[in-house]
Amino acid sequence: MLKDNLGLTLCILIALASIGFALFSGDPYYVQVVIWVFTNAVLAVTLRFVLLIGELNIATAAFFGIGAYTTAVASTIMDWTFFASLLAAPVIAGIISALFGWITLRTKGPYFLLISFAFTEIVRLFYTKTEALGGNSGMIGMFPPMALNDYFPAIAVTILAAILFGLYAAERSNLGRVFKAIQNNEDIPRSVGLNVIGLKILCFVIASATVGLAGGVHAYTNSVIAPADFTYFVAVLALAYVKIGGEGHIAGPIIGATILTLAGQFLHSFGPYENIFYGAIIIGALLLVPGGIVGLGARFKTGKFMGRAER
Amino acid sequence: MEALSNKNKGKVLLRAEGLERKFGGLTAVADFSFELREGEILGLIGPNGAGKSTTFNLISGFMPPTSGSLSFLDQNITSKNATHISRMGLIRTFQHESLLSEMSVADNIIIATTHRLKSQAARLEKMQETAKLTGLEDHLEVMAGSLPHGLQRMLSIAIALAAEPKVLCLDEPLTGLQGAEVGAALDLFEMIRSELGITILLVEHNMRAVMRICDRILVLNHGRLLAAGTPEEVSQNQLVIEAYLGHKK
Repeated sequence: MLKDNLGLTLCILIALASIGFALFSGDPYYVQVVIWVFTNAVLAVTLRFVLLIGELNIATAAFFGIGAYTTAVASTIMDWTFFASLLAAPVIAGIISALFGWITLRTKGPYFLLISFAFTEIVRLFYTKTEALGGNSGMIGMFPPMALNDYFPAIAVTILAAILFGLYAAERSNLGRVFKAIQNNEDIPRSVGLNVIGLKILCFVIASATVGLAGGVHAYTNSVIAPADFTYFVAVLALAYVKIGGEGHIAGPIIGATILTLAGQFLHSFGPYENIFYGAIIIGALLLVPGGIVGLGARFKTGKFMGRAER
Repeated sequence: MEALSNKNKGKVLLRAEGLERKFGGLTAVADFSFELREGEILGLIGPNGAGKSTTFNLISGFMPPTSGSLSFLDQNITSKNATHISRMGLIRTFQHESLLSEMSVADNIIIATTHRLKSQAARLEKMQETAKLTGLEDHLEVMAGSLPHGLQRMLSIAIALAAEPKVLCLDEPLTGLQGAEVGAALDLFEMIRSELGITILLVEHNMRAVMRICDRILVLNHGRLLAAGTPEEVSQNQLVIEAYLGHKK
C-alpha cells in the first residue's frame, strides 16, 4: 500500500511538472514531445485496458482516429466551440465502440484481434474515400481559440494525464477486479450472476471513449490529421510500449511509451535506418526483459534477471 | 425415513422434463426428467460419460438443451442464459478450472458478491464470513492457483456460497480430496443445507460420500435415467450395479 501511494505521488508530481513545463517552456519542440509522450502513453494504457479482459484490441488505432476526425469535423465544418468539439470525440467514439463491441465481443482471442484489425483498416479507407473528410490529404485547420492558444499545451497535457489517472482508478476499482476475473476465467463471473458480455462491452467502451478523447486532443495539437496517422501500426506501436514497459502494472505502458517516444526523436537522425534501430530496440527488450521494465523488480527478487520471452 | 419423507414433500425448486442434448450424432442426455425439492441433497451419479456434467451445463444455462424444458422457482428457464439463471439463485461450481487462479482468495470470493451486494463494506463482510465458513480465513491474500488442492476445492464452494444461492450445484467437489478432507467437506455440505437452508444438487464419483449425505439419488447411464430412489434403493438396484460393475459372466 505504501509503495503504491509513493508511486502514485510520484506520478502526480511528474504530471504536474509536465503541465508546468508545457505552460512555461519557451521551446515548442520539447513541449510537442511532452504531448506526444502523453498521447502515446494514453494509446498504450487504453490498449492494455482492454487486455484486462483478455482481448488484444487493434481498433485502439481506429477509435483514436474516430476521435480525431470527430473533433476535426465538429471544429472546422460544424464550427463547434473548442470544448464542445473535444467532448464530441469521446461521445462518438463511445457510441461506435458500444455498437462494435456488442457485435464483436462475442468472439475471442485471434478472432477478435482480426476483426478489430479489419475494422481499423475499413475506417481508414472510409477516410481516404470520403471527400468531405479531405480524402487522402486529411483535414486541416483545427486550432484552439486565440484566448487559449498559449495555454493549449498545458490543457492537452492535463486532459491526457487525467485520462491516465482515470484509467488507473478504474483498474483499481471493483470494476477493474471484475475485468481481470473475466480475463482469468470468464465462466466464474458468469456463474455468479455477472453479465460478462455487458462488462466486456463496458471495458471496451471506456477504453475507446478515452482514446477517442486523446484523438481529439491530437487533432488540436497537430492542426492537421490524415488517414495515414491512424493505421493499425499505431496499435502495433502501442503494443510495443506495453510489452517493453510491462503489462503487469499501468505504469508499464507509460514507461514504455516514454522511452520509445524519446528514442524515436533521437532515431530520426538515422534517416531511412530509423525503423531498423527502432525494431532492434523492441526485439532486444522483448527477448532480454520478458516481463517488461516493471517486471524487473520481481525478476531481481527471484534471481532470474535474464530469461526467455513469455508468450 | 420419516425425516426423508418430510423432505420429499418440500416445494419443487427445479424441474426438468424430457431434457435432451445432442452433439451432432451423439446424444449426451436423453429424455431426462427429475425434480429437485427444497431442502434436500440430491445426488446425480453415473459412470464417466453418463451425461452428468452435460446435465449441469443444461440446468445452469451454460448450454441450451436440444429439447425438453426446465423450470426454476416456477419460471421457465429453458432458454435463459447462465447469467439470468445464476441471478435467480441457481449457482454451480465447476469440475475443472473452478476458480480464478491468478487472483487472490479474497478477490475470488469478492467477485462472487459483486452482483448481489453493492457496497464495498458489505462485500468485504460477506467475503470474510464465507472464508471463515469454508476454512479459508487464513489464506485470503494467497493466489488461488497456489493453494493446496483441498483448499482450492473449498474455494470453489466459497465462490458459489458468496453468490447467495438458493440451489447449489456441486460438480464433483470431492475429487482429489483425502480422507479427513472428504469428511470435512461432507460436514460443510450438511451445514450448508441445515443452517443456510440451501438445497444441493451433487454430482460425485465418491459413492461412499454420496450414500452418506444424499436424501435421494438419480443414476444416469448413457445419458438416460437408469434409476432413482433413496441411497438404499439405488445401492441395491441391479441395473445400477451392472452399470458400475458390468454384467456377471
